[in-house]
Amino acid sequence: MKYLGKWLIPFVAAIAVFIGMQFDSGFYTKPVGQVEAVKVVKTTNHQDEDQNHDRLIKQQVRVRLLNTAKRGKRITMHNTYSFSGALDNELRVGEQVFLDVDKGAYTLNNVKRDAILAALLVLTFGLIFLVMGRRAWLTSISILLNTVIFFVAVEWEIGSKQWQAWWLFVILAVIFTVLTAVFIVGFKPIAATISLGTLLATAAAVALGYGIMALTNYNGIHFEEVKYATQTPQLLFFGQIVIGSLGAVLDEASDISVAIFQLHDTAKERFRAGMAIGRNVMGPLISVLFMIFIADTFMESVLWIRNNNSIAQTVIWVMGLGFAQSLISAFGIVLAVPVTSGIAAMMAKIKKVTA
Amino acid sequence: MNAILALALVLLVMMFIVGGKQGLSNFFALAVNALLMILVVILMASGFNPIIVAIIFGLIILASTIFLSTSQLSVAGPAFVSSLLIMTLLVGLILLTMTLSQTAGFGPEDSEALEGFSVYIGVSFPHILIATTLLGTLGAIAEAAIAVAAGMDEIKDQASATGIKQMGHEIIGTALNTLFFGFFGGFSSLFIWFASLRYPFSQVINNKIFVGELLQVLISVIAVILTVPMTTWVVTTRHAHRRKE
Repeated sequence: MKYLGKWLIPFVAAIAVFIGMQFDSGFYTKPVGQVEAVKVVKTTNHQDEDQNHDRLIKQQVRVRLLNTAKRGKRITMHNTYSFSGALDNELRVGEQVFLDVDKGAYTLNNVKRDAILAALLVLTFGLIFLVMGRRAWLTSISILLNTVIFFVAVEWEIGSKQWQAWWLFVILAVIFTVLTAVFIVGFKPIAATISLGTLLATAAAVALGYGIMALTNYNGIHFEEVKYATQTPQLLFFGQIVIGSLGAVLDEASDISVAIFQLHDTAKERFRAGMAIGRNVMGPLISVLFMIFIADTFMESVLWIRNNNSIAQTVIWVMGLGFAQSLISAFGIVLAVPVTSGIAAMMAKIKKVTA
Repeated sequence: MNAILALALVLLVMMFIVGGKQGLSNFFALAVNALLMILVVILMASGFNPIIVAIIFGLIILASTIFLSTSQLSVAGPAFVSSLLIMTLLVGLILLTMTLSQTAGFGPEDSEALEGFSVYIGVSFPHILIATTLLGTLGAIAEAAIAVAAGMDEIKDQASATGIKQMGHEIIGTALNTLFFGFFGGFSSLFIWFASLRYPFSQVINNKIFVGELLQVLISVIAVILTVPMTTWVVTTRHAHRRKE
């Protein structure tokens, strides 16, 4: 029972944070309100050009204002949402929302999501600390540092030229790698092995991917589908691959290096041991990234097919980028096995000679 | 020649050179998963309930990932059982989070990509989001479960409590980096978007797309963290039962 009680702590903390953050509206300048009552006033059937049947529901919502000078005042507004809910939301009693105000008339601006986000953050880090104990500090700090560096870099990148943006991704990748490697194993020669293996494998993977795509004339690759592209989509595509696969390659390289450095055999045997470990971890690692990248394309894929695009067209246009991204990331994960094993074997040898 | 096909062929060759027979088997598992994921999209688009489709295909993908990546039944068995238990927990957590956060569908930043599309497609986007989160996390759960089960199988009865704990830490640490950077890659263009349009912090933490993506990362991390003790528990219970017999 005591054992189970321990597991409840993060959940209770998360719920407490969620409730606490229902009272933070004073920090916002935008009007925030809490939904007190909803009533459906009209339901209409909607049919689009492709014979998709949907339902539009208009609800009358009573909202109590939680901040600004009008605090405590109750207003009534209308909200229309659809069954499919691509761009709209059903409002429920108890929910908090941001409002737009124009000449005294209020309309829905956005749903307030900070409380659930904070609650999940507390739950996640609570569980990390519960399961990992002291090591949790190191992991959390490393993640936090990487995040901060990323934000600073992105801020700095704005307005820079294209080639600068590419170098930014490269420099970021190097910093992330070295920093994370040092956090995993400490400030030791083995950290250099891990970093070098990771960076070489990732660079080789991107070069290989670029070469193959250039050779095939980007046949079947539609860069115009890269999301939120404020820059050359091609650049973002490769940048995403570099950053996205870094963690997996890093973990693999550290698994291999840590195991090899403990061995006292010849370089050849060390290399063989590294290959054996790598062989076992590469498959699952590739499938982790693969599932993340492909599942990410679900929403758009369904939208495309429902808008009367063929399955083949949807797979090529929407899922194609996800596939290409997972495949090039997979190159890095596979290449890291011989590259890291080789470097680790050599480094272990050098260490022995100098020792 | 199609670029994606060329990339896949090169990967096949590389995985065979590095991994031999096991590399081929890994590649085969990947190809099966790719086909399954396409099938999931087709089924969702043809009007089947996305959540039910995701649960059924989640089971199939879990089975194919776990049983194709290791040939030892003493590893695959417990790994599969604990993944199933975690998946059940996960469905509950996802339903709760997604209902409270309302992050399904598209955000204002997507408007350019949506031009010319009808968004009233009669398929529930909240349901698709639940399917996305569930299937996107399964890979990580399967990997952690296999790692724990394989590690415990290797040390068998000599396993000390501290040894198992140590191994668990390493597996979680590994998974954290993979997931964190994996999602960070996808984030990067959105972050650049936010930064170049000077979104204030208060807007970012309530933004539909940002919150939705971050919640997905956090749910995956939670799933992986819970997978480790769960698998340990399944393996120990199994051993205890064996010994009784």
